Amino acid sequence: MAFARRWSGTGVFLGTSMRVQLHDPLAIVSSALVEAILIVFVWVLAPKYLAFALFGSLVYSLFLIGQHVINEAAYIRIEHKINELYHASPLSPEAYFLGMAGGIGIAYLPTTLVLFVLSMIVYPVTVGGFGALLVVLLAVWLFSASIAYVISTLFRDMKAIWPYAALITNVLGVVPPVFYPLALWPAEWRSIALVLPTSSGAALIESAAGLQPLPLGDVFLAATALALEAAVAFVFAVWWARRSSREA
Amino acid sequence: MRGTDVRKTYRMRTGDGIEALRGVSLSIRRGERVALLGRNGAGKTTFLRIASTLLMPTSGSVEVFGHDVASDPDAVRPLIAVVPQESHPFFHLTPREQVYAYLRARGIPRDEARAKTEWALAQVGLEEVAKRLTITLSGGQKQRTMVATVLATGAPLLFLDEPTIGLDPFARRAVWRSLRQLTSEGSTILLTTHYLDEAEALSDRLYIVEEGRVLAEGTAEEMKRQVGGSVRVSVKDGGSLQEQMATFGPVVSEDGTVHVVTDPERIGELVDLAMARGLSSTVGPVSLEEAFLRVVGRSIDQD
Repeated sequence: MAFARRWSGTGVFLGTSMRVQLHDPLAIVSSALVEAILIVFVWVLAPKYLAFALFGSLVYSLFLIGQHVINEAAYIRIEHKINELYHASPLSPEAYFLGMAGGIGIAYLPTTLVLFVLSMIVYPVTVGGFGALLVVLLAVWLFSASIAYVISTLFRDMKAIWPYAALITNVLGVVPPVFYPLALWPAEWRSIALVLPTSSGAALIESAAGLQPLPLGDVFLAATALALEAAVAFVFAVWWARRSSREA
Repeated sequence: MRGTDVRKTYRMRTGDGIEALRGVSLSIRRGERVALLGRNGAGKTTFLRIASTLLMPTSGSVEVFGHDVASDPDAVRPLIAVVPQESHPFFHLTPREQVYAYLRARGIPRDEARAKTEWALAQVGLEEVAKRLTITLSGGQKQRTMVATVLATGAPLLFLDEPTIGLDPFARRAVWRSLRQLTSEGSTILLTTHYLDEAEALSDRLYIVEEGRVLAEGTAEEMKRQVGGSVRVSVKDGGSLQEQMATFGPVVSEDGTVHVVTDPERIGELVDLAMARGLSSTVGPVSLEEAFLRVVGRSIDQD
């Protein structure tokens, strides 16, 4: 009963958070710029990797939710101070965190859907592949939004947050093999790519789709790493949300 | 609500600490409106944040309706609502959406939330802009949106940290009316304010806080009586009379004008004294500001 009460306001705050985002449609559209540019580059320079770029862009678009969560959570806390309105209320800090992460995720979903349609046109997947894709994308979102929420609470100045948010997104989202095949990554570093939350997600989707089948050991490594990272990040963020709802 | 010997020291990275509260004890009865008055940095907001479960005290305790805010915040939070200092509504929601969404997040059913939203917006005079995004509203309208958000909850205990800052006199009075109505319906209010007229007009009792301590407590009238008289006589360019005026009561000199607080029966003598020197004088009732300045000033002098 207490557990249910703790999460009871999530849906309502998710709706609020989503509505706030939807009032700014240009931000949603422009959020797809990095993916669009990278896809165009790959299409022009190496068209045979277009399917990789499209699947990678799906992972990236979900990973990018984290950047929006960092910015929004910090903005609300630092500039609006409206988080205190909610923290000093029956809405639990956990519901506040998950509602915000979910609301931003849904608001930015249209860009992911467009990328999904393009992916399916270029490289259709089976029902099994589609299921794997959904699970992987959910895990990437959960990891990204959770870590982002925690990071957002560590700063007192918006300007200090921007470079960190951009750095994390690009270092984890663009550098590893997300928009290009894992096979192009140096062989000795592949196990690193398979445990990073973004490149492991891309590798799993590409493997499930049959685009770049992975050995069973690699699938196990990537799936375990991503599942663990998402679960640990989420549990930590829930704990942190409660802890940070009250200043020590 | 009862606060007992509440202390708060903010730890700094350098290892030093800033003592924001040095043993504040205060209590508020159900249905009361109580104001915390104090200079910037006096500790008002720190106390309010502790009492509203947003900040842990270093020691001491605050109980809200019998629940300890430090150890049982989940029991306290449904009973309170807070307007944080310098807070703003979501810029990309309308006032109506803002209030309604907050009520729904607190678990208030849809129909009730709708009715309370309309009531609160009407209370603070925001009906005409209820459909506009708050980013397009004036600063005062944004602030009124925050106040409406909290008013609408009808929570048993409201914390308002400078709720009327930036509002014009009409809007301030509209907020005052709403707060009075809420307490008449049983809500209890603790507010901080810099506006002494607001504290006087709105609160049943006041606490004057300075450097983390409560210096004085009572009604506005009781505070004014501490000044040492009920009227103030001011003599322009009265420096030469300051010593003589001091025999009538406490004297303060400000920009060449000498003010003395005294009893009404001595007004005539003072005015005659000023006229004999060809100086003009004015007479008025002692204000809460004078009481505040005297109480806080005495504390500063002692330090």
